[in-house]
Amino acid sequence: MIGHVANLSRWEWFKLRRRWMLWILLVFAILFAQLAVWGQFFSYRNLQTTGGELTVPASLQQQQGRAPRTVACNDLLSGDPARQPADLDAQVVAGLAAQCRQQAATLPARLARAYQGFTLPGSVSTALGIVQTLALILIAILTASAIGIDYGAGTLRSVLTQGVGRWPYLTAKIITLAVIAFLGLVAALATVAISSLIATAIAGAPPEGAGTATWSDAGLALWKAWSSTLPYLALTTFVTVFARSSAAGMAIGLGYYFAEQLIVALFSNLFSWFQNIADFFLVRNISGWVGGSGGLAGGALPDQTHALVVLAVYTLILGGFAFWVFERRDVQGATGGG
Amino acid sequence: MTAQNGNVIETTDLTKRYGDVVAVDHLTLRVPRGGVFGFLGPNGSGKTTTMGMLLGLVHPTSGEARIFGDPARHPATLRRVGAMVETPTFYPYLSGRANLRYFQAIGGRGAPADVDRLLDLVDLGKRAASKYATYSLGMKQRLGIACALLGDPELVFLDEPTNGLDPAGVVEVRELVRDLGKGGRTVVLSSHLLSETELVCDNVAVLSRGKLIAQGSIQELLRQHDGLRLRTTDDAKARATLAEIRWVQHVEPQDGGLMVTAPPDRSWEISRALALREVYVNELMPVHRSLEEFFMEITGTDPATGKERS
Repeated sequence: MIGHVANLSRWEWFKLRRRWMLWILLVFAILFAQLAVWGQFFSYRNLQTTGGELTVPASLQQQQGRAPRTVACNDLLSGDPARQPADLDAQVVAGLAAQCRQQAATLPARLARAYQGFTLPGSVSTALGIVQTLALILIAILTASAIGIDYGAGTLRSVLTQGVGRWPYLTAKIITLAVIAFLGLVAALATVAISSLIATAIAGAPPEGAGTATWSDAGLALWKAWSSTLPYLALTTFVTVFARSSAAGMAIGLGYYFAEQLIVALFSNLFSWFQNIADFFLVRNISGWVGGSGGLAGGALPDQTHALVVLAVYTLILGGFAFWVFERRDVQGATGGG
Repeated sequence: MTAQNGNVIETTDLTKRYGDVVAVDHLTLRVPRGGVFGFLGPNGSGKTTTMGMLLGLVHPTSGEARIFGDPARHPATLRRVGAMVETPTFYPYLSGRANLRYFQAIGGRGAPADVDRLLDLVDLGKRAASKYATYSLGMKQRLGIACALLGDPELVFLDEPTNGLDPAGVVEVRELVRDLGKGGRTVVLSSHLLSETELVCDNVAVLSRGKLIAQGSIQELLRQHDGLRLRTTDDAKARATLAEIRWVQHVEPQDGGLMVTAPPDRSWEISRALALREVYVNELMPVHRSLEEFFMEITGTDPATGKERS
């Protein structure tokens, strides 16, 4: 049985790797991961060069009607008149300089944090923080497409008449998609590692206090990012199988992510008790599990143990329903979708 | 394991309902091992649903279906069966060769080298590397046949295999089906081209509105429905007289005379019975019916259009 499923998974990969969609989604994941690394790098360089920046609102500028602008703390604190902002009132400049002196105390820690964000192994967690959200959306698209094509093109009929069995076939698809999600994250992180090495070389000597991130933190972040895709994979599988349509799978997979956050944000503001219910919602628990922000909804996220249990229950129930429907349904001809 | 009685397919009271609609109604069917078995019926008669139940695609509402004596939907049983049901379905972004290689591998059917051999067999060797999406209907049909033959199965279902083929292709497929039915393999052929079916099938089953209405060898079935064209001095009286004869199956007016469904070798008995009632025969001619005429008579439909005869 295991050998049969492994063989089916191998041939599922044979089909998937010939689709442009897989590679386009991977490119998206890599681009977002790169954005995280280089974003942190340029943020670090900026902090290094400016010593931190302060925003000057339009109301404090001598020429009214201008847009808010930023001033660099290094300029303000340099004592060099040529580097002082000529368009600001002296009192405003003095106030800004005082703020800069206060921030200067935290500058080494901010530099160390920014440096850690683009150097290994800290860059792994930084990149995953951004890629993880995208990974949910990408896995929804890929899952709906990989499962939905058998309904759209009618190939499920040809597959099942080969005597492969319904359970093994769906199991192989899900395993392949889960492995692809993992390998996709690893591939994105491999490019992150290369970029991190380049950025580290460009950045030069590390600031004081840098280097507190560990490889075990990076490994844990990878595990959390990957495992958070599984309930989403189960959700999209269920919807695609139930609706026999990749379009429905994609629509629900993508729409649910945003819809849940909007609903939680809206109802949590209206009813205080709604937050307790929201703690059992899928996306909110994914955020709780990976240690992300509350998104649009804000508020305190469920703790990690709670989140892990809720996500496991979601995965089992949605996956179970998907298998049940897949096993019981009569197989019809092509529905014409993708 | 083949069923001990020599039937490769056995169904008992096989029924499929979709709500109030009965697609297949207590179908009890026996398909003997070896040869080409025609599975006939007008559109909507339940042929494809029956094939679906035999191939594990459709869950029966009740009844039993067995292939080689084992439950039909069992994966191990299906690995000994090749099938092309309705229009062939393949992955549009894969080439013909990649599609066939995929189905060969997931079902563990034969060896990878068989893929190219089968592509050549159905005359797709030169287009094997082209994407399936670019294939014409006839090419898709050929690929479907090649897929059904992967692993040299003991039982092959072919549902309308000549759809979309040009006349030369139809002849090629006819020869192929005939060859496949030799050497112990069983081919179940569903087609609305009854002239083609008549040329290649040994036995047939005819379905109408989900029910089995005839089954047996073509020769036997046609012989049972052979008839006599009759002109008499008094057709109305002749009709009443013939209706009283037990072995006369059917009498109907046709072309200014009567068409009598009865064994032609008993025509002298008909002549005598009419003469005894003072009805005299002007013309008595044996009529051998084609499968198409037989089909139209027992189903009341046109095999090509599936519409009921007026």
